Amino acid sequence: MTSLEQVAHRHDDSLKKTEANRVAPGSPILELKGLQKNYGYVQALKPATVTFLAGEIHAIVGENGAGKSTLIKLLTGVITRTAGEIFWCGQPVALATPNEAIARGINAVHQEVVLCPHLTVAANLFLGDEINRNGLMRKRQMEKTAQAVLDDLGFNLPAASTLSSLTIGQQQLVATARAAMRGTQFLIFDEPTAYLTRQESAQLFKLIRRLQSEGVTIVYISHRMEEVFELADRVSVLRDGTHVGTRLVGETNETELIALMINRSIEQIYHKVDIPLGETILETRGLSGPGFEDVSLSVRAGEIVGLYGLIGAGRSEFALGLYGRHPATSGEIHWMDKKVDIRNEHAAMDLGIALAPESRRDQGLCLNLPIGLNINLPVFRRLSRGPIISHALESANADQQIRNLSIKTPSRRVLVSSMSGGNQQKVVIGKWLSHGARLFIFDEPTVGVDVGTKAEIYRLFAMLLKEGAGIILISSYLPEVYELADRLHVFRRGRLVGSHDFHAASHEDVLAEAIGV
Amino acid sequence: MAITSSESSAAAPRRGVNVLFSLTLIGLLLFLWIALGLGTASFWTPLNISNLLRQGAMTAILAVGQTFVIITAGIDLSVGAIVGFSSVILAWLLHAGVPLWAALILTLLMGMAIGVFHGFGIVRMGLPPFIITLATLTSLRGIGLLITDGSTISITHEAFTGFSRANFLGIPSLFWMVILVAVPAYIFLHLSRWGRYLFAVGSNREAARLSGVSVDRTIYMAYILSATCAAFVGILLASRIGIGNATQAEGWELQAIASSVIGGTSLFGAVGSIHGPLIGAFILATINNGANLLNVNSFWQRIITGLLIIVIVYFDQLRRRGSR
Repeated sequence: MTSLEQVAHRHDDSLKKTEANRVAPGSPILELKGLQKNYGYVQALKPATVTFLAGEIHAIVGENGAGKSTLIKLLTGVITRTAGEIFWCGQPVALATPNEAIARGINAVHQEVVLCPHLTVAANLFLGDEINRNGLMRKRQMEKTAQAVLDDLGFNLPAASTLSSLTIGQQQLVATARAAMRGTQFLIFDEPTAYLTRQESAQLFKLIRRLQSEGVTIVYISHRMEEVFELADRVSVLRDGTHVGTRLVGETNETELIALMINRSIEQIYHKVDIPLGETILETRGLSGPGFEDVSLSVRAGEIVGLYGLIGAGRSEFALGLYGRHPATSGEIHWMDKKVDIRNEHAAMDLGIALAPESRRDQGLCLNLPIGLNINLPVFRRLSRGPIISHALESANADQQIRNLSIKTPSRRVLVSSMSGGNQQKVVIGKWLSHGARLFIFDEPTVGVDVGTKAEIYRLFAMLLKEGAGIILISSYLPEVYELADRLHVFRRGRLVGSHDFHAASHEDVLAEAIGV
Repeated sequence: MAITSSESSAAAPRRGVNVLFSLTLIGLLLFLWIALGLGTASFWTPLNISNLLRQGAMTAILAVGQTFVIITAGIDLSVGAIVGFSSVILAWLLHAGVPLWAALILTLLMGMAIGVFHGFGIVRMGLPPFIITLATLTSLRGIGLLITDGSTISITHEAFTGFSRANFLGIPSLFWMVILVAVPAYIFLHLSRWGRYLFAVGSNREAARLSGVSVDRTIYMAYILSATCAAFVGILLASRIGIGNATQAEGWELQAIASSVIGGTSLFGAVGSIHGPLIGAFILATINNGANLLNVNSFWQRIITGLLIIVIVYFDQLRRRGSR
């Protein structure tokens, strides 16, 4: 018996395993019949009928706002349905509360990790389910067990370290391990690889396959088509709250799925425009600062410069250095052939540098404030007469960006927190479009963003380039930088380890440089 | 993630709900006034109403200043101490023969300086707002007591002490002071870009910084405004009681915070208004006033105030959860 099974065994006494064991692999374990959810007048999920088979990996794809999260929330008991029925192991169930879902063995691993950052990995794994003796926690025993489970899963993670000391990707693995330890029968992954590096994704996939081989049913939500084809047995497509079809992965292809998802054909998501390169906008010479060392590169008008590397390789740090958030300590920055010193964000903005930062939640947006305020934040000076804001200019600017970027919202007064990831990303970008700049730094602009929105963002890049701007595009998703960047720089451990012209190196070469093999 | 259309439309009526909330607060205030009018003979007398407006005025001004700070997700515990301290400084200056106008300006400047110090502690030294303002709370009381040697300094300036008892257009001058503060405060918070920056800093400091908002300057500004409001209230108090005494206004910081929170300000930052705290302050003043008229034991007054804060803020939370 492996460590994981031993731990999971602690939960065998509850009702779920006995119940789920009655379902033979390949027969329905969870059936949704006409499941529907309305928010006021809005139908977030139109009557959907989907069947999940025991032991399958069932992918769900769809654009932002297609109803994927609504579906997850219904299945995990976070929200209650407006109409329809749910059958679990053939029995109608309420799934009215998260506890009921968990008690039946339905768990979810969310895109953004919902764990306690200040506790240790072990404490998080056992949170709410600690090993006690006489009411006192057995800390050492928990750590030992946790380490055994992590080793067993093949995660190279220390159980005794605090969660916040891990990368987001590693935290995601911890969250997955946590769900695996609870003797889960039905596990939902909501875009788990959005923040993962390639190796971490590989580890996660191994774990998912292993859970599947142990009879766990997996629901896998992702924007990344290649993952769906690599992992899933069947795939369901949602569009605008409607379930538009379920296919066997072996009998479909990417083109069909995308067509189903967006009901229009994208000839090419990566639409690289050929724009003659202009003057050099920015050049760094041996720039060093917190987290990056000796970086020399240049950006010309009409050029996309891609920065690729694993998470933590120093790309975002370089961007923050360039933007004056954590100013460079040595080396030179030349802006339009003039040596400049960027000591703070103001200096960067005044030169004409815009930064759409890596984390929407932590750096990009004021989540509990309206869309309009977020979009206008960098430009309030321009929208004011003296210190007093012109209401007309304020609303005009916000509405214009909402229209330009086709941000889906009834009003600019809506709070950003209530929007989907793709729309939130558009707000981050909208902020900087209204500010205007010569050099745009986009740090992971398409994380957690669906195909349609991705294409829109790429079209926006083309528009900016045509207007004579330069773009630094930071991405952990190789195809994106590979297909879009005129010049691709690879970061590893804070240093530039390779620079290639468009398509001059193969995927494998770039990846090898990033990993350092 | 994909809850877009659904949840955003649920959040759209928020503005309406906010108006509704203010109306509920005003409704509560009116209800208290009507109930007290029916329950006591003396509530709706000109004397008592003037009294009520005077009582509420000082808390209201403190609450407005406090609200700027709370919107940045901070807290200013020192305002009560600044009130007492300012009364001492003013009395001391007048006693030393400084002309009234100069004494008033110096007292307000002293308040600004305290605000600058708070900003310095938070921005430069990285201290939590709770700690730095708690430290000034106790130190200012101490300095005030040192200056007065533990007693009081009486103010003999007739025109000055007469001001707090005076009426203008039939309304107590102290209440006019609320309007004098509230109107510019409203313009500042809701119509100027500095106000927007306060909200942005309270919502997400890093996002504000990366958007080019000068976070440090915004924080300085909030604490300077709060401390200056408090110094202004200190002047009004000195006028009202005719003495400078460092131990005055004990616990007023909590009254100010309570008024602000009753008025819908979120202690987590980024939510707040000017009219809310004003109404909140007068609700608290009405409860105290009414309890006095009804001869309710003053110990009970405190209990009732506490319970009311819980109830009002609880309903406010419900409203916010509902609008998410």
